[in-house]
Amino acid sequence: MLAIYKKELRSYFTSMTGYVFIAFFLVIIGIYFAVYNLFGQLANFEYILSDASFIFVILIPILTMRLMAEEKKQKTDQLLLTSPVPISRIIVGKFLAVTTVYFIAMVIISLYPLITSQYGLVPFKIAYGSILGFFLLGAAYIAIGLFVSSMTESQVVAAVVSFLVILLTVFMDGIAGMLPTDNKSAFLILAVLLLVLCWITYLMMKNITLSLLLAIVSEIILTAAYFLKPGLFDGIIIKITGWFSVIARFSDVIMGVLDISTIIYYVSIVFLFLFLTVQVIKKSRWS
Amino acid sequence: MIEVKNLVKQYGNHLAVDNLSFTVEKGQILGFLGPNGAGKSTTMNILTGYISATEGTVVVDGHDIFDEPEEAKKCIGYLPELPPLYPDLTVREYLNFVADLKQVKRSEKAQMIDKIMNMTKVTDVAGRLIKHLSKGYKQRVGLAQAIIGFPEVLILDEPTVGLDPMQITWIRDLIKDLKKNHTIILSSHILSEVSAVCDQIIIINKGRLIVSDSADNLSKHITGSNQLHLQVKGDKEAIQNILQTMEAVSSFEFDKETIDGFTSLTVYYRDNQDVREEIFYAFSDARCAIIEMHSTHMSLEDIFLEVTQDSKTKEDNKEVTVNAGDL
Repeated sequence: MLAIYKKELRSYFTSMTGYVFIAFFLVIIGIYFAVYNLFGQLANFEYILSDASFIFVILIPILTMRLMAEEKKQKTDQLLLTSPVPISRIIVGKFLAVTTVYFIAMVIISLYPLITSQYGLVPFKIAYGSILGFFLLGAAYIAIGLFVSSMTESQVVAAVVSFLVILLTVFMDGIAGMLPTDNKSAFLILAVLLLVLCWITYLMMKNITLSLLLAIVSEIILTAAYFLKPGLFDGIIIKITGWFSVIARFSDVIMGVLDISTIIYYVSIVFLFLFLTVQVIKKSRWS
Repeated sequence: MIEVKNLVKQYGNHLAVDNLSFTVEKGQILGFLGPNGAGKSTTMNILTGYISATEGTVVVDGHDIFDEPEEAKKCIGYLPELPPLYPDLTVREYLNFVADLKQVKRSEKAQMIDKIMNMTKVTDVAGRLIKHLSKGYKQRVGLAQAIIGFPEVLILDEPTVGLDPMQITWIRDLIKDLKKNHTIILSSHILSEVSAVCDQIIIINKGRLIVSDSADNLSKHITGSNQLHLQVKGDKEAIQNILQTMEAVSSFEFDKETIDGFTSLTVYYRDNQDVREEIFYAFSDARCAIIEMHSTHMSLEDIFLEVTQDSKTKEDNKEVTVNAGDL
């Protein structure tokens, strides 16, 4: 694991990627810092992070696109997967390496509130709370990017897909607002969603009986729940999309609410996508 | 050392490896022979745990590759078809990384890398970026990577591809040298290469085991193929007259292409009778000069043709494996 971590981290700094990422990150945050804190004479660092959170859409794909896609293309995954290192450690090593690059950038920006504090009172708790939240948010996006990268051989495809996925999470709140809230349409949307999920399991497992059975059973349960307890479906779509809206949690953090559930939320997103990445690689060995 | 049992690998409807079984003893070199697309690389990828099998077991040094992958992989050094190199690392950095991956002890690492770079003759490019190396050097760095950690089993997929003739002979010597401490499986589609270094040869086609025999038996059979190719100054009739009187000659066949005044033909003779001398005197008595005479070696293609036809007829008896002697 350490070997992979060291090699990945090096490769960010022997190629341009690491420097480009950090430079771009610092430029954007720096512009906001100058406009809000220096010229605008605001003491709140969290506003910067809130408004600058769109940079993930562009920057995370740059960091993560080559992680697994390049290994597959160059066939170097043959070296990694035939070495006596479990797949999970390979993935965690890679994740930690990217997160370290991101961490370096975060360390630099965490000096900014100290600069502002020279000229007035800074709400340090909220400032550093949101920096921690911002870091966790980025780590969650990195895990998603790593997952996308493991599904393709092409860096470009990996970059575009992770760009779209992150963009979707940013807009998720807006999209959820447009969806109907009454329980009948919620029921229909869920029913369709379940069918799609069963179809995906069919595509992955090529087992028609199992997928059909799964579809029938889940639809029956759903219908039963709808007729027995229709109240369960009130606004459920918004709840579900809200759960996937990685960035929505961050707006709570900006307000000064960094509770344990938010931290657990981001950490579990990281674990979920690292787990999925390992599964994708294991799966590709079988087909 | 390596035990493969009833290995099957299926891609959709396509059977890449079909019920393959073989064993390799410690200290042996096993040659894995087959035309392109025969399933050599697929089998090697399964042996090293890169891909999994649909059915069957692979046991390396007592460890099942599917049940105890880490333990089994520790005993294997693998050079895939395309050496798995990172173009942006220098040779030394790369080998260092591989040594870390294979959990080589820190105290032994530098010394081991130096030793292996000497063995594979890449010391003079140690500081160069891999992307700037020639194909031959890349192949050798790939080989060095496989040897790192001195695993007990080396699996080399077409190790001589892309090397010039001098490097090929050198790499063969290196493989023979490695045999002292390692069990080796190497694949190739060139028969002479395999017969030059291997103790045991396995020929596969379309994922099936066709021949499994010791290299000596196989090459004996291949060289003793009872055929002579002749080019004679003279016309067909005269040659026919001479050959028909000879008892050792079972049949002969004229080539389709003839040059004015010269006739080319293949002579088949009965087992274990050297007819070359007899033919020479017979033709010289008839004043027909022999311009060229050589015994034709059975090429890999010939063996395949024969063996695949053989296995087709034997398929009814569910007997796919044939001994080289039956060819």
